[in-house]
Amino acid sequence: MAQVGRSASVSRIARLGRHFRNFWPYYVMILPGLTFLILIKYIPMAGSVIAFQNFSLRKGIWGSPWIGLENFRKLLNYDDFHRVFRNTLILGALKTLIVFPVPILLALLLNELRQPRIKKSIQTVVTIPHFISWVIVGGLTFDVLGSGGLFNQIRAAFGLDMILPMQKSPWFRPVYVLTSIWKESGWGTVVYLAAISGIDPGIYESASIDGASRFQKMTRITFPMILPTAVTLFLINIGSFLDLGFDQVFNLYTPMTYDVADIFDTYVYRSGIQQGKYSFSTAVGLFQSVIGFILVVIFNRLSKKVSEDGGLW
Amino acid sequence: MKKLSSRILGLLLALVMMTAGMSIAAAESAETYPDIEYWFTNEGFLPAEVGGAYYNLTKETIGVGVYMPYVDWNGGQTYREQLALRVAANDMPDIFIYNNGIENSMILDGVALDLTDYLPEYMPHVWEAIPASVWETVKANDPTGQGRIWTIPDVTTFTRHGAYIRTDWLEAVGKEMPKTQEEFVDVLRAFKENDLNGNGAADEIPTGGRMEARWMDYLFAMYGVAMYEGYPEWDVYDGQITYSAVTPNMKEALKFVSDLYKEGLLDPETLLNSAGDWSGKFDSNRIGVYYHIPWVAYQRLQGIYDFTGGAVKAQVANLPQISAEGYEGFITVKPTGNSGKMVSADVAKDEQLMKAAFRVLDCQYNMEYRDLEYGVEGMHHEVVDGKKVKLPEDKATQELLILQTPGCQVETVDVISSRLEAIRTEENSWQIDESLALLNGNQADGKIIAADGMPSSVYDGYEDIQNRTLYVEYISKIISGEYDLDKFDEFVDRWYSIGGTEVTERVREWYAGKQ
Repeated sequence: MAQVGRSASVSRIARLGRHFRNFWPYYVMILPGLTFLILIKYIPMAGSVIAFQNFSLRKGIWGSPWIGLENFRKLLNYDDFHRVFRNTLILGALKTLIVFPVPILLALLLNELRQPRIKKSIQTVVTIPHFISWVIVGGLTFDVLGSGGLFNQIRAAFGLDMILPMQKSPWFRPVYVLTSIWKESGWGTVVYLAAISGIDPGIYESASIDGASRFQKMTRITFPMILPTAVTLFLINIGSFLDLGFDQVFNLYTPMTYDVADIFDTYVYRSGIQQGKYSFSTAVGLFQSVIGFILVVIFNRLSKKVSEDGGLW
Repeated sequence: MKKLSSRILGLLLALVMMTAGMSIAAAESAETYPDIEYWFTNEGFLPAEVGGAYYNLTKETIGVGVYMPYVDWNGGQTYREQLALRVAANDMPDIFIYNNGIENSMILDGVALDLTDYLPEYMPHVWEAIPASVWETVKANDPTGQGRIWTIPDVTTFTRHGAYIRTDWLEAVGKEMPKTQEEFVDVLRAFKENDLNGNGAADEIPTGGRMEARWMDYLFAMYGVAMYEGYPEWDVYDGQITYSAVTPNMKEALKFVSDLYKEGLLDPETLLNSAGDWSGKFDSNRIGVYYHIPWVAYQRLQGIYDFTGGAVKAQVANLPQISAEGYEGFITVKPTGNSGKMVSADVAKDEQLMKAAFRVLDCQYNMEYRDLEYGVEGMHHEVVDGKKVKLPEDKATQELLILQTPGCQVETVDVISSRLEAIRTEENSWQIDESLALLNGNQADGKIIAADGMPSSVYDGYEDIQNRTLYVEYISKIISGEYDLDKFDEFVDRWYSIGGTEVTERVREWYAGKQ
């Protein structure tokens, strides 16, 4: 029995050796990428240990005293922890449920445009907002919704009173969703349009012969064909579920909307970055990452159940 | 082959000789001082780099070349981040300014130089210029508890803030300068109803402020609420030092302010205005009463002048500090600011460098070098009839004036007055006169509050109290009418429960020690 095992492992090693001899140029090719990952992604990860320290810039990682889980305890005992956590979850869910599907829809619609010129120009127009920073988008939003902005001018034309949505909590979430869609959905179509262009035209042709309408072709061919792409993107997104992006919320919230807008990132900014509490910020970041990791694992399992070769791994 | 190696040898020899020459030169210049990297507020001016015009000026004038790479101030945020990076890299600037409480961790981390023993000998002008009482406060606040001096605090010995009112508007509506709260509200109404800027639109804003209920301190101050640029302060209420935001005074003030908001006498966008939005509204000739730093009013007046194409030379005057019935109104004054200068502990490794740093600091407080304020001839000023006249501010062509810009020395009415005189030109003379009148007009309204010199370490571990997060949220909602005034009591309870109790204890302990 033991001998069989041994000879099996010997032959495995031999096979591996042959494999490397045959394919070594490929391994050399991935070497730079691998080095990059290790140097830039994995080694800095070790820096997360400062979450368990009372980190001081001067003393560095080696010299700073250990304080165990103190920072995590502080986070969980934070008076508004449940509020921050709830806001993060709600905004994350809105982003996943409402914002995420928009690019798919947009890509399907763009794909149906026959006139290439119009298609290209619409694509350009919807993609451009991606390159505008949130500081500017935030400023525009405040202006449009301000007392003399477009929103209130329209209201005035209908004889309605002026309101200032940016200082009213119930308005924050819709504004958050709409600005996300405005800024990012066009950019999001890029990947889907690439996936669509990869679909074999023969499929469409045979569908036409079978008498499928354009709408049927869209729902029965195009959509299912880009679904694996969508699932992969979804899984990538879900990993950063709690990572809503500091910029957007920070540039859109006001003290009057804290109760629905304050999220981990803005909290960390106020208590960590502004006050130079690096350990604490790292602890919160770690907390977010762990939750993100758990979510990715769960959804990966789910997607495997749904389709045979779904999932990231 | 031989030729090549001899060439290399020759090259090496040349190199050795060059370095030797350099070290000889260095030994010679040891008579003079090494350069000093000095980090200061830069909001868009060109950096003052080694060999640049400003660097040369300082080198000529005080014998020490002063430089600073471009570090954006950005409300202090980017500056602090960049400074933290340099701390982490173990490559500190020699002198740097601090604010917002970063000084404590720097002192505890050993980044700062203990200045106690050096001040009298090497920086006599600094030592003299800053009042002894302030030095006592600095010693009492030493986070290491040893009573040492690690910082040179910015000191302001005058009433820096105040409200001013458009007197040309006041005249137009035929009203007297308001002295009581009733008269004040009456004037605000008149400002709102008459088309005072004459543009045909009802866009006049009687008064207002900025996001986070900032820059309208004078409205709160009518009820004796100590407030500094929108930050509630600690003062004595009911015989004990207390956070002004949780006092009954605050509740009354809020009632007043929220009523003004409801009536439309405050800018509806008060709680959304950024700094630029708010000053922009004044500059576009729309605001009646404006709370700010009165002596910089000349910039606002120029703004209106430009906006109206030279048609309006706005007239302004101090709004007297009004007291609500039964209260004593005042403008909060804190001579010992929460900012100042520190010296890197690393300069002590090189005695000459340390002396250079001390010399730079001492010269800043030495009136003999007052003219540094004018900067470089041709860049910052020109000479007219043998007198230096400042050129208009131009961030595209001017290097940062590291050593003489507002906040850099002990600020007194005299210092500010001379600073205003320095920028007087034929065109802006009327603005300078108004600024000077505003500066001198409200000095009597100021009161030094009990918390002057309080170390920010009282907030350690209670960031949300220091950031006044809860305060801003509740107060904004009460002013905008989303919350009833009764919610104020809930705010007070919550404030105490999230750490207000502990912070209050620390402050009272500190105050007992101060007395």
